[in-house]
Amino acid sequence: MSTLGNSTNIFWHECPVGKHERQRLLDQKGCVVWITGLSGSGKSTLACSISRELHTRGKLSYVLDGDNLRHGLNKNLGFKAEDRAENIRRVGEVAKLFADAGLVCIASLISPYRKDRDACRAMLPESFIEVFMNMPLELCEARDAKGLYKLARAGKIKGFTGIDDPYEPPLKCEIELSQKDGICPAPGAMAGKVVSYLEEKGFLES
Amino acid sequence: MPAIRGPGACVYGTSGALRSRRAKDGELGFVGCCSGLGAARGPQLRSRVLRLGGRSARLAPVGAMEQGRTAYVNSKADGSEGENLHQISTVGNSTNIKWHGCSVDKLERQELLQQKGCVIWITGLSGSGKSTLACALSRGLHSRGKLTYILDGDNVRHGLNSDLSFRAEDRAENIRRIGEVAKLFADSGLICIASLISPYRKDRSACRAMLPGGDFIEVFMDVPLQVCEARDPKGLYKLARAGKIKGFTGIDDPYEPPLDCEIVLQQEGSKCASPCEMAEEVICFLEEKGYLRA
Repeated sequence: MSTLGNSTNIFWHECPVGKHERQRLLDQKGCVVWITGLSGSGKSTLACSISRELHTRGKLSYVLDGDNLRHGLNKNLGFKAEDRAENIRRVGEVAKLFADAGLVCIASLISPYRKDRDACRAMLPESFIEVFMNMPLELCEARDAKGLYKLARAGKIKGFTGIDDPYEPPLKCEIELSQKDGICPAPGAMAGKVVSYLEEKGFLES
Repeated sequence: MPAIRGPGACVYGTSGALRSRRAKDGELGFVGCCSGLGAARGPQLRSRVLRLGGRSARLAPVGAMEQGRTAYVNSKADGSEGENLHQISTVGNSTNIKWHGCSVDKLERQELLQQKGCVIWITGLSGSGKSTLACALSRGLHSRGKLTYILDGDNVRHGLNSDLSFRAEDRAENIRRIGEVAKLFADSGLICIASLISPYRKDRSACRAMLPGGDFIEVFMDVPLQVCEARDPKGLYKLARAGKIKGFTGIDDPYEPPLDCEIVLQQEGSKCASPCEMAEEVICFLEEKGYLRA
């Protein structure tokens, strides 16, 4: 029996079907691919490409997209600093559950603050793969896939990452994806790089 | 099966409490559901129809086609995002968010896993056997090569819900979050087994409403308070009776039983069915409703 956080009198229940058995069933190891970067850097696009590439190899993955989760689990959170932190904490905890279930969980969210991303990494030693979409602000703003940079420049959105809220790039991530000679690689090529990494590290076998 | 006498009054014996419904002959997993026996290495999906995880020639043509589709959806010559601009919306407290579609959908995952995702929501008093059933159920399904995941109320309070207490509003938020996570698991193709007291009808109904029709399977552990209290596996009833825990369900906080749930597991007299037998009833239900195939 223990007290944890705000919950007293809780119990850890063991269960006979464990992580290793699930991994054997799926022939893969659960992990979290955490894609971080500015709005419009291509995170969601990459997440979908990775998921597709894994599926064609018979691997099970699931995408946790920051925006999608704000439609459900995180719909009671806004974009204040503490809510952003809580958003990322919850996504990290859910991603951890998916990794424990044996899936390759692809989390795709701006996650601008280093401290919050590092806290998620700490939840998942050995199986947290941080992918930094290192695309310049100018490129992201030129794309402006959701029209948000325009709104932010017009002052209609406050605290928008990259405009009037900071993005803290990773200091030491597993994979960095950036332009080459001013050209952004195709999503399929970037996905290939991530999937190759997963393969090298043994996540695509049990 | 030998009778197992636990600390409580309940004696596990062969089923007297359940309608007898035996597994079909040859179905892997029903015989071994308690011991976890199966193939020596455990069951593997790759032995089923689709070679999950294998270098399957069968998957390759699909891959080639899908690569083309991905290219269409996602890239232009300059590498910019090719997807259409969907409507930006405000949901809850989040403004300016967009729903992102994704090229691998639920049906494809179900095809890969040869099962349909759903949520089995086990509700009942503390000590009614929810976690025990959840474990037996996951073992029984695993033996059949099915992928499950258990969201146990206590376990989730160690992680995602570690910021919540047992006050009424936090209980509601606990259940809401678990419902949302269970929904994600079901969408990913897993059979998600949620095991938590979830005492208030309104909160359970809200979780039911999150899922497409039929995908929320409510299982009520209908065990009398006296039996639960006699078991008292965590010593909580004793603490509650001594006034050391306030608002403990069944003692000084209500449990609202379901009015119309899919499965009721009842105790009759002093006998109750074994966890394996109860798991078997749930597995039969899943099979009848088509969840154990794509």
